[in-house]
Amino acid sequence: MSALATPGGRALSAAVVSAVPLLVFLALLAYFGARAPGFLDPATLILILKQAIPTAVLGVGLSFVVIGGGDDVVAGGIDLSVPSIAVLSAAIIADQLAFHGTGTLAAVLLGFMAAVAAGLCNAVLVTRIGMTPLLATLASSTAFIGFSKLVTANRRIDLSDPLIVTLRDGTVAGLPLGLLAATALIVIAIAAVHRSRWGLRLQAVGGNRDAAVIAGLDARRFVAQSFLIAGVFGGLASLFVLARGSGSTPGVAETLLMETVLATFLGAAFSPRRVVTVWGAALGAILVSALSIGFGSVGVDVFWTGCVKGGLILVVVAAAAVARRSRT
Amino acid sequence: MSIGGHDRKGAWRRALATAVAVTVMAAAGAASADEALSLKGKKIGVAVVGTQHFWDREAFNGAVEKVKELGGEVLPVDGGRDNQVHADNHDVFLTNKVDAVISILGDAAVEPKFKALQEKGVPVFTVDHLSPYAINNTTSDNYYIGTTIGRYLADSLGGKGKVAFFNAFENSLRICGIRAQLAKYVLKDYPGIEIVQPELAEAFANAPEDARKKTLDLLTQYPKGTLDAIHVACWDQPAIGVVQALEEAGRTEIKVTAVDAGPDTLEIIAEKDSPFVANVAQQPHKIGATSAENVARYFAGEKLLPQTFVDVVPVNGPEEAKKVYAELGYGKLD
Repeated sequence: MSALATPGGRALSAAVVSAVPLLVFLALLAYFGARAPGFLDPATLILILKQAIPTAVLGVGLSFVVIGGGDDVVAGGIDLSVPSIAVLSAAIIADQLAFHGTGTLAAVLLGFMAAVAAGLCNAVLVTRIGMTPLLATLASSTAFIGFSKLVTANRRIDLSDPLIVTLRDGTVAGLPLGLLAATALIVIAIAAVHRSRWGLRLQAVGGNRDAAVIAGLDARRFVAQSFLIAGVFGGLASLFVLARGSGSTPGVAETLLMETVLATFLGAAFSPRRVVTVWGAALGAILVSALSIGFGSVGVDVFWTGCVKGGLILVVVAAAAVARRSRT
Repeated sequence: MSIGGHDRKGAWRRALATAVAVTVMAAAGAASADEALSLKGKKIGVAVVGTQHFWDREAFNGAVEKVKELGGEVLPVDGGRDNQVHADNHDVFLTNKVDAVISILGDAAVEPKFKALQEKGVPVFTVDHLSPYAINNTTSDNYYIGTTIGRYLADSLGGKGKVAFFNAFENSLRICGIRAQLAKYVLKDYPGIEIVQPELAEAFANAPEDARKKTLDLLTQYPKGTLDAIHVACWDQPAIGVVQALEEAGRTEIKVTAVDAGPDTLEIIAEKDSPFVANVAQQPHKIGATSAENVARYFAGEKLLPQTFVDVVPVNGPEEAKKVYAELGYGKLD
């Protein structure tokens, strides 16, 4: 107790707490490896990576918003609507392909336009109207889901379009095409945030907005851009969502949201300063997917899996809060 | 009684005795064949889309219990009523090197997973899901379900009136297509019956609550006297919510029909003056168990038909609901 009261003690406890999620994950992975012999096969790794794709792309989109808005979960940057943007875009693409005879490219463009419009809507709600990102995107995600139900009449749409099938089954040099495409997107995103001048400014705005403004940065513009980019990633993710499901299915947004938030904030545990990063979000998605396959392999009840994932979100977000408190 | 009569009686007795003997022998033969069935040393992956609903849970339990009974080991996975999670769960079977897979329900998202399993030489057996990658699909006689519930629906309407369909899965799940389209095929012969357009689409998860809300909206759209029945085309979990909404709105003159008839909905049909008037009962536990037996038959080298059909039991009115409830071993209703 007394050690916790000193600044040094607090930093130490913060370091320990923020390492907890990662330690829990590593312990679970070791457990799965011991209990399910096939779990540590290279083939399993490919399956884990393939399953992680939609969550990783969405998590990368979300990480832009968190990085630009700061990682305070209530007042900082958060976009709960990224998965519903993906579902909306997927619904539009599927509906166009299946029922309107639209060409693949035109259908994808329509879906993307909706995704960009959705991102723009969030940007306006947050930076022009001044709503809290948490509430703004909670509300907008409900609207996006509603709109996707309107488009699909709340029905599943099967797809066998060549683009979707190629993204699902195609391979290049023995590696899944979808995996390579997603990796390319993630690498571009990492370069944009962590290796470019724009990215450094975005981080500055998120890290300490007042200082950034004093330094002459237009914080509002960066925040708006981050929501727009999240929308774009929602649109990109919709292709992977369609490929994974061989079509559009109502009701997938819920699981995607839970896993995206978990992956993004879990990713912070990888960074030395315990902040949300693009690459951390992608790695987080891989861990979340490993968790799903691992729990299945040892025969754990799906509801327990849900409980554990929800519990991990709590631990991860709490760790982020502790880490932030120790920084300020 | 004439002598001839006695003779006839004797002949009947002999015939009956022979019939009984033949039946007993046949049963014994079947039993010995079943005794030979074994899954010893086999690891069977059993995937189910969810376990919240009676049907899903019982089909799952039937398969799991039968695999264990036959000496096999089970690797169970549950999709939590999410078709995508269900599909992804099949990856677990690839990594755990199971000997065979029983996959219960699911939509087209599972097909690439079945294909991957087939390529690895893992035979796939499905329940209520037709797939080109499966050895066998064990299912109810969906054709009989569709026409029977169509007839009962027409009868409950007295041959004319307006009916709303909850029909979200006609185009995405083949079993639902069969049930919905054959019910409509029957209704074609009743020109006085009109299906309300557009049809309603129920949610796959949390169906009772979702259907309750949708029914309340529907009732506002169709005031008293303008709607006569609500039919749930492929299952009956939404019908629970439909009945709740009718009772809340005081519109129990509207008849409800559906498909599945687990104990939960049989109890509603058995109530006095229930708006829920007809159903067709499936035997999900038997379906799951039969699928597991088919796996064993496959390993024993038997040639399986592409589909195995398990009998269904029509339920028309409260008295039949009580009877079927007892017959299917759910207990006793008064």
